[in-house]
Amino acid sequence: MAEIYVIVGTGAAGMAAAEQIRLYKKDVTVVMMSIDEHSHSRCMLHKFLGGERTKEELSFVEPDFFEKNEICWGKGQKALGLDTAKKQIRMENGYQPYDKLLIATGSVFGIPPINNFRTASNVYGFRDLSDAQKIDEAVKKKDAKHVFIVGSGLVGLDVATGLMERGVKVTIAEMAPRVMPLQTDDTAAKAYQERFEAHGARFLLGIGASDSIVNDQNEITAVVLSTGETVECDFVICAAGVRPNIAWLEDSGIAMDRGITVDGHMRTSAPDVYAAGDVTGLSGVWPNAMDMGRVAASNMCGADVEYTDRYCMKNTSNFFGLQMLTIGDINAQVDGAEIYMKESRDCYKKAVVKDGVLKSILIQGDISHTGHWQYLIKNGINISDIIKKKSVFDITYGDFYGMDDMGEYQYNI
Amino acid sequence: MKRIVIDPAKCDGCKNCALACMDSHRTDGGEGVVTLNFSLPETEARNEILNDGKGGYLPMFCRHCSVPGCANSCMSGALKKDPETGHVTYDEKRCGACFMCVMNCPYGIPKPSRDGTKILKCDFCNERPEGPACVAACPKQAIWVEEV
Repeated sequence: MAEIYVIVGTGAAGMAAAEQIRLYKKDVTVVMMSIDEHSHSRCMLHKFLGGERTKEELSFVEPDFFEKNEICWGKGQKALGLDTAKKQIRMENGYQPYDKLLIATGSVFGIPPINNFRTASNVYGFRDLSDAQKIDEAVKKKDAKHVFIVGSGLVGLDVATGLMERGVKVTIAEMAPRVMPLQTDDTAAKAYQERFEAHGARFLLGIGASDSIVNDQNEITAVVLSTGETVECDFVICAAGVRPNIAWLEDSGIAMDRGITVDGHMRTSAPDVYAAGDVTGLSGVWPNAMDMGRVAASNMCGADVEYTDRYCMKNTSNFFGLQMLTIGDINAQVDGAEIYMKESRDCYKKAVVKDGVLKSILIQGDISHTGHWQYLIKNGINISDIIKKKSVFDITYGDFYGMDDMGEYQYNI
Repeated sequence: MKRIVIDPAKCDGCKNCALACMDSHRTDGGEGVVTLNFSLPETEARNEILNDGKGGYLPMFCRHCSVPGCANSCMSGALKKDPETGHVTYDEKRCGACFMCVMNCPYGIPKPSRDGTKILKCDFCNERPEGPACVAACPKQAIWVEEV
């Protein structure tokens, strides 16, 4: 009988892994299971909410992905537990055996411990398609006019744009003193804040929600702020952080910390069980999830591949036509660092250099030709000689231009 | 796969490749650099020639990498490594304009379009039989197509 490879989760890590397994092995049975009925890219959920895309158009694979790769896909199947001794997954309606297992169940949103938030019927997250669908229904059913969003990170701003697109007014509470606090500094944050405000959003910065008011249907109708002010709303969205989705593994005996503990080959503590993506707690960015998925899949198929490209403090954003790229912690207080800044009418740049090595960079405006920054930062490349001759912002791949025998570029350092 | 191979020593920075790229990707139906409208925001080259600061030039052309950082970061499925041609293809309709590819190409090749709704990168002139326009336009044979 053919070996059974099971992947739990159809996000970035799971799908990349499935494709990779098929590259190595044509003769094994590949089973995937997901809670969602549609495989979708969660980075585009706001486009569904805003009415720009249908749920089918959120897919990041071809419509025939599962057929073409001969994958048996259990849609709407929830994994409830794992028995590593019997090598099977417990589900609502039975057991799924495996020879090799990849856990790629991503993460779940957290609800802050604010009075009523965890018990009210109209508090949503924005993580899965089902969350976006619930919000969509809530907007329609309530003819929602005003939504309270907790958190102004990328997810909070994404959901805000989706709602604003539909004419819903949003109030966004952020504990930090600026929007998108992990990716911005004050200048960059202000540029985004102004654009959102010009489109009708209201920000409460450095202000938390401290209480809420519910009606007799257990719906939050207003949020009380730490300042004492009351903000009326039709419903609440929590976008203030996620955590690895590991609750279903509690009794499995698999070693876990914040996420599932994995070694360099993405192996968990249980034989033939691997984990990849957000569920490991190693990173929450898309490219890293795909990389982890491919590494895990290769090793499941008997290869010997290590997950090495681990740098994950990186992101891009694109709101109201304003683009931004941030690599590293742009706000870190680095002793003895030199901070470079360049500001023009439509572009803002900031770089932090310590002992000739670039620590972080932020570019807002035109982000063309900025791919080399991640390479320079994550590899700790010394640029001290280059910046004696020109501005740090004028560095390009051209400063390291090299090529290998196959005509591919290769950093010449 | 077919790759545009580069000999930077032969490049004299004339940028005929850039003009050919613009002309090849124009959408107004015209043909030939003479009628190319440079004031249109979409008239933009997907390649670039950098000055090496020592009197030489460094052609920047998408390598359609064996492990493409751009496609490996694409959250919409718009960028893909074609298993047959080996080229990294881009489906504008799928693109979510998140620009993770811009960040994840170590060489800084893909870039946002000027209107910020998509990216621009080499598509091998849509695999047209006569080969990419940039190669045909290079007077120095600094770039050519080779099976690698």
